[in-house]
Amino acid sequence: MVDWSQVALAGVWGGLLALERRAFLQAMFSRPLVAATSLGLLLGEVESGLFVGMLLELYHLGAANLGAALPENDTIAATGCSAAAASCALSTGGGGTPAIWALAIILFGWLGALGRKVDRWLEPYNTRLARKATARAEHGELRRAVRQNLWGMWPHFLIYGALVGGCAVAGYLVGPAVARLPLQLVRGLAWAYPAMGAVAAAIAARGSHARHSASYAAAVAALVVVAMVALTCRRVA
Amino acid sequence: MSGPSALAAAPQVSSWTLLRVFGRSLFLQASWNPQGMQNLGLAYALFPALSDLYPDPDRQMAAVRRHLAFFNTQPYMAAAILGGVIFHEGRIARGEEGPEQVVAFKAALMGPLAALGDGFFWLSLRPALGALCAALVPVLGAWAALLFLVLYNVVHLTLRARLFRMGLRLGDRLVEGVAHAHLPEWGARLRTVGAASAGAAVAYLAISLGANQGGQVGDALAVGYLALGAVAYWLTSKRFGNYALLYLAALLAVAAGAFL
Repeated sequence: MVDWSQVALAGVWGGLLALERRAFLQAMFSRPLVAATSLGLLLGEVESGLFVGMLLELYHLGAANLGAALPENDTIAATGCSAAAASCALSTGGGGTPAIWALAIILFGWLGALGRKVDRWLEPYNTRLARKATARAEHGELRRAVRQNLWGMWPHFLIYGALVGGCAVAGYLVGPAVARLPLQLVRGLAWAYPAMGAVAAAIAARGSHARHSASYAAAVAALVVVAMVALTCRRVA
Repeated sequence: MSGPSALAAAPQVSSWTLLRVFGRSLFLQASWNPQGMQNLGLAYALFPALSDLYPDPDRQMAAVRRHLAFFNTQPYMAAAILGGVIFHEGRIARGEEGPEQVVAFKAALMGPLAALGDGFFWLSLRPALGALCAALVPVLGAWAALLFLVLYNVVHLTLRARLFRMGLRLGDRLVEGVAHAHLPEWGARLRTVGAASAGAAVAYLAISLGANQGGQVGDALAVGYLALGAVAYWLTSKRFGNYALLYLAALLAVAAGAFL
């Protein structure tokens, strides 16, 4: 059963985060870790948002908006996957699981690439606004000219808000089907989450842009493995 | 030619107006476009200051039009240029220099400041804190997201406000002030933190989730995830597509879970 108030909430918050990513403030509320967690929190499934956000933060870590180059839209990937995972978890009634998080990322992780296309598609609209502003300035309508700047935001809010709302609806619809999946497939999906996480972390190590990133990543990974194994052995003893 | 005394002699720009300019600078990229890039955002941010400095409509129009020309820099570092532009516009309004000075000031600084800001914020601070806080999720839970926001914005907002004031006070000499911040050196250190934190995240995901979900094959699964991380790192260095890697890993894991 789709909860439309939750869908609307996801859409509005998703639209606002899309604005924060590029048009306003850029205080990193739109980073995958924060965006997905906050969306999960709003929908009452903070754990799903957090773990989806953690993986996508690592996956998109090295992407940067340099000059005119457009990176993938990490925010729509995070908000879309988080909305889908949270609503799917709510509709199953069993809470978030690694299988649900993996399924959400498999189904909607590619939204980052779509977002880049949307961002590129919206650029001519902004170019028209800039031309309009110049024309108004030449006619002496200075206040109206500079206010054209704010009109650049609404298409992002509407398009990305609708996409996130759509992902939430998809999550509600997929939920009952997930509950009926064969156990082996659910186990496979549960195994897929850490597998994708390991890949995302490896991509993050490269995306850190550090010199000798492999050495640093490997050394710390080895330390963490030793510490965790030692802790487990102590508990068993 | 520059200094605090110069700004003090330009009472037309009030503190309230400066605050408004700073607030409006947060919308710098609202209508980013491939031709003028941040031109409209810059004109929008500067407008209250230009209105104060040029009560004469013709001079005001000329001032707005010179800031509708191409402009692009790193959005946080733009605060320094905004401050510097107000410094120069004050001098132009008082007849102490020509309008070409402010145009040259923007053209000279937007490139170097963009390179400096991109290197520090986009390629160092953000990845380092992102990886660190993602690796801290097992320890802090959802607080890791809040920690990321706090740590990032303490640096971001402090620097942004400081750069704006620096531009206002120093004008052209703000380059010296920015150089004293040693951003490239801090950037190199932060990138190391990012790589190390990513390593910690691989280990946690492999050991903790592998052992929890693998049952009898938990240990083998954990080793498999660690190996997968190492192979993925190697494949990314060979320019293997990130999406292909992610979906291939998911496919392998689903197949293993279904048939093992």
